[in-house]
Amino acid sequence: MSILANKDTYVVIQGGVAGVNAARRMAEFCYLIKRSLNVLAFVYPPDAGKTHEIPYGSGLVAVPIYKTVAEATKNHPQINTSLVYIGADRALKGGMEVLDDPHIKVVSMITEGVPEKDAKILAHHASKLGKVFNGPSSIGIVSAGSCRLGVIGGAFDNLVLSKLYREGSFGVITKSGGLSNEIIWICSQFADGITTAIGIGGDAYPGTDYVSYLDMFEHDPQTKAVVIVGEMGGDLEERAAEWYGAKKRRVKLMAVVSGFCQESLPKGMKFGHAGAKEGLKGEGSARAKSDALKKSGAIVPTTFGALGPAIKEAYQEMLKSGQVKEPVEPVVLPKLPKTIEEAMKADEVMVAPLIRTTISDDRGEEPCYDGYPASELINKGYEIPHVIGLLWDKRLISKQEAEIIKRIMMLSADHGPCVSGAYATILAACAGIGLSQSVAAGMIIIGPRFGGAVTDAGRWFKYAVDNKMSVDEFLVYMKKNVGPVPGIGHRVKSLRNPDKRVKELVGYVKSLNSKTPCLDFALQVEQVTAVKKDNLILNVDGTMAAVLVDIGFPVDSLNGFFILSRTIGLIGHWVDQKRQDSRLIRLFDYLVNYAAPKRREVPPLK
Amino acid sequence: MAKVLEGPGMGLMKKWGITVPHYVVVTSVDELTKLGQANEWLKKSKLVVKAHEALGSRFKLGLVKVGLDLKEAEAATKEMIGRQVGSITVSQVIVSEMIPHKEEYYCAVKSTREGTDLLVANCGGIEVESNWDRVKRLAVEVGQQPSVEAIERLAKDAGFTGPLAKKMAEFAGKMFTCFDNEDAQYLEVNPVVLREHDRELIALDAVTLLDGDAKFRHPDWNFAFAAEFGRAYSKHEMEVMAVDSKIKGSVKFIEIPGGDTAMLPAGGGASVYYSDAVVARGGKLANYAEYSGDPPDWAVEVLTDKVCSLPGIKNIIVGGAIANFTDVKKTFGGIINGFRKAKSEGKLKDVKIWVRRGGPREKEGLDAMRALKDEGFDINVFDRNTPLTDIVDKALQGK
Repeated sequence: MSILANKDTYVVIQGGVAGVNAARRMAEFCYLIKRSLNVLAFVYPPDAGKTHEIPYGSGLVAVPIYKTVAEATKNHPQINTSLVYIGADRALKGGMEVLDDPHIKVVSMITEGVPEKDAKILAHHASKLGKVFNGPSSIGIVSAGSCRLGVIGGAFDNLVLSKLYREGSFGVITKSGGLSNEIIWICSQFADGITTAIGIGGDAYPGTDYVSYLDMFEHDPQTKAVVIVGEMGGDLEERAAEWYGAKKRRVKLMAVVSGFCQESLPKGMKFGHAGAKEGLKGEGSARAKSDALKKSGAIVPTTFGALGPAIKEAYQEMLKSGQVKEPVEPVVLPKLPKTIEEAMKADEVMVAPLIRTTISDDRGEEPCYDGYPASELINKGYEIPHVIGLLWDKRLISKQEAEIIKRIMMLSADHGPCVSGAYATILAACAGIGLSQSVAAGMIIIGPRFGGAVTDAGRWFKYAVDNKMSVDEFLVYMKKNVGPVPGIGHRVKSLRNPDKRVKELVGYVKSLNSKTPCLDFALQVEQVTAVKKDNLILNVDGTMAAVLVDIGFPVDSLNGFFILSRTIGLIGHWVDQKRQDSRLIRLFDYLVNYAAPKRREVPPLK
Repeated sequence: MAKVLEGPGMGLMKKWGITVPHYVVVTSVDELTKLGQANEWLKKSKLVVKAHEALGSRFKLGLVKVGLDLKEAEAATKEMIGRQVGSITVSQVIVSEMIPHKEEYYCAVKSTREGTDLLVANCGGIEVESNWDRVKRLAVEVGQQPSVEAIERLAKDAGFTGPLAKKMAEFAGKMFTCFDNEDAQYLEVNPVVLREHDRELIALDAVTLLDGDAKFRHPDWNFAFAAEFGRAYSKHEMEVMAVDSKIKGSVKFIEIPGGDTAMLPAGGGASVYYSDAVVARGGKLANYAEYSGDPPDWAVEVLTDKVCSLPGIKNIIVGGAIANFTDVKKTFGGIINGFRKAKSEGKLKDVKIWVRRGGPREKEGLDAMRALKDEGFDINVFDRNTPLTDIVDKALQGK
């Protein structure tokens, strides 16, 4: 048996994130004691109509969210208990709403910092209705082996260590949340554990006090003793003493009180709990409380540390008198399924990876590129081309190679608004399309006829050099097997009107006195083709390709240099149009050669 | 509970129709001189000058001067402003008119578990302290308003007669309204005086305690709350309060000069048991502190920094019960960062650190604390199997 919360307790949680977190903890407890999830509904207007997925064992339970308590209890008439997690400024309204629902018998308010006046109104209203209003600032209520309300009891391991999966003989009532857990643990180590533990909260005027629960424990035959953890301030401990001393009680009362330090501290000092404060005239001191409890016949150890042995002594007496029997521990307890991460850490499972990467790792404090931390690269003077080298070719390129890449990028960043890619981006920008989509529009254009010839040019120049072909052999081979030579030919430039960018790049690379077999071969090819036709010159794609192959970049990465560089220009065009607030454009019909059939009659549908 | 100084306290009473003396709060003589030119009452009335600070026994300290004219009030202001009392510098004075009177009475409103107590006595000042049996009480249930008749009966019960009984009842009624509407926890006017020339009841001196948690619905509470233990908050205390007001969970810090045992425990409840244990073992607390409700690690780091900065400490008690939902690894991470920072600043020399804790991720947290040994910290770490306050016994052994 237990009090307040048991196997028939079904819960609605009022509130958002904190409430969901509590539901997860409650699901862990339900799983431990093998009962289905006792949280049937949430009330949280902003998310009404949705569900929260609460992990239970290795599965998920969908718990619906409602706008009002009335809707929740109408759909789940078994609900008889509410946990309130809503903010202090709305706690009064939410508390009144739930107290007024006829299905609800117990309300535990977890919210902290509720105005005193509101807490008093709620407590008063509950007592008029004959309902239990626990809190505010309550950590929750737990009945061993049957029901957990809130996060009381802590993590799953602690539930097991504190033997909360089965009943003991001790009731617990505390103001402090942390200490409730401590006492539960002590009861399980020095005795047979708890029946029910209740956090009443540390506010000045909690909705229910020790006496409300002492009365309930007195009528719960399973509970043989009750431990209360009090503190200075208010008169709840005095009332408990009064209750205990009033007549012979079935349950044994054990208590500790904190706040003796107040005697040697500045008067009026504020401790962690709102209620932990002596009155203006010194009433409610730890000493007064402790004396009152002792006088009533309660066992009051002098320190918190002495509580464990005192509980042990009381338990041994109960065993001797036959009042209780040693509990039988279950042989096997459910284990909380581990997450994949936890299980892997414990070397318990092996997972076949879905993807494999060989270039970067983001799992540390900062990303590493091919093993090198980004910040260290920066601090040691490396630049963007080196990062390209690491991520595209997994090697740290030289300063000179980096300079070549930098120049290639600068030369191909943009080529004005008229080229297909830039035009596509501008068209999209004028249509009001966003940056990434507009740039993607330009990007889609990059292919065999625009900017996308770098890879192919590199591939065939490299093929010729690797196979030691002569220019003539190469041209014959290309004509027979491939078609026009990629990297050769320009729409507007010609031998007489050369592409300045090509001249610039070739000039620089040749000035370095390093070996450039591909570039040399490409230039020889140009000499032959340009004689045949004026515009069959080595274009910028072909030049880049030959230079990059000479540096050693893999053929498949070569188009990347154009894509990367031209992205700079495409972004520029988008921003430019945006800045001007450009309007939607369309082609003028005089720019179109309308070669479609003349207007004619539509034949009847057959 | 949050204490409010006289100035804003009188302001709240005035708002609810209670007659208070004319008063001004100033920070300089100049300001008072200018106000004197603008306000007739400052020129005509006898004045009282008081230091407007959260200080106890101001009278003994010479920080209350009575029966002054404006010139003398200016002199008193000049003398008081800038005076150093312990850790507090007087920065404001309140100048109010003296009310000629013969009779003094008492009226207070107080929060109780069952509702609100309205207290009235037909004596006042220090007389009421020695005649507590003359204070009569009207208990008002939660959510109820006292009837005019009930308050009049209270006044008559307290010994007021004739038209004065009606006046006192009216005064007490306004006090209740002010209390109820301003989320007060305690409101005391002592003395209430009968002004001779028009026989009106005036609130001469008041104690006002408000519910700080209700601040969200009082946009006109534009004043700072005063410390309640006879001194102002220190710089470090205010820094921790500023953090506390910003975070989920809480961090609390109060300095106690002269102590040598520093406290860095978790939990509003456990922290008091730890403080008790230090006192019981003959130790001297250097502070009170507490963190709870799973606060962010940086907030715990700020708290740790302040604890490590306490002068003359020999031990730091990093205690705590078995947490329900406070992440031990995360919060200990904040403490560890704070310790490292303190050490790098040359603090924590010859300081022993004592740790006891349980809760979510306790193993990871305690292991991280233990590892500080390798960095040269004098640290002793215990888990849930060591009873809560045993680390205090160990720390203070031989005391």
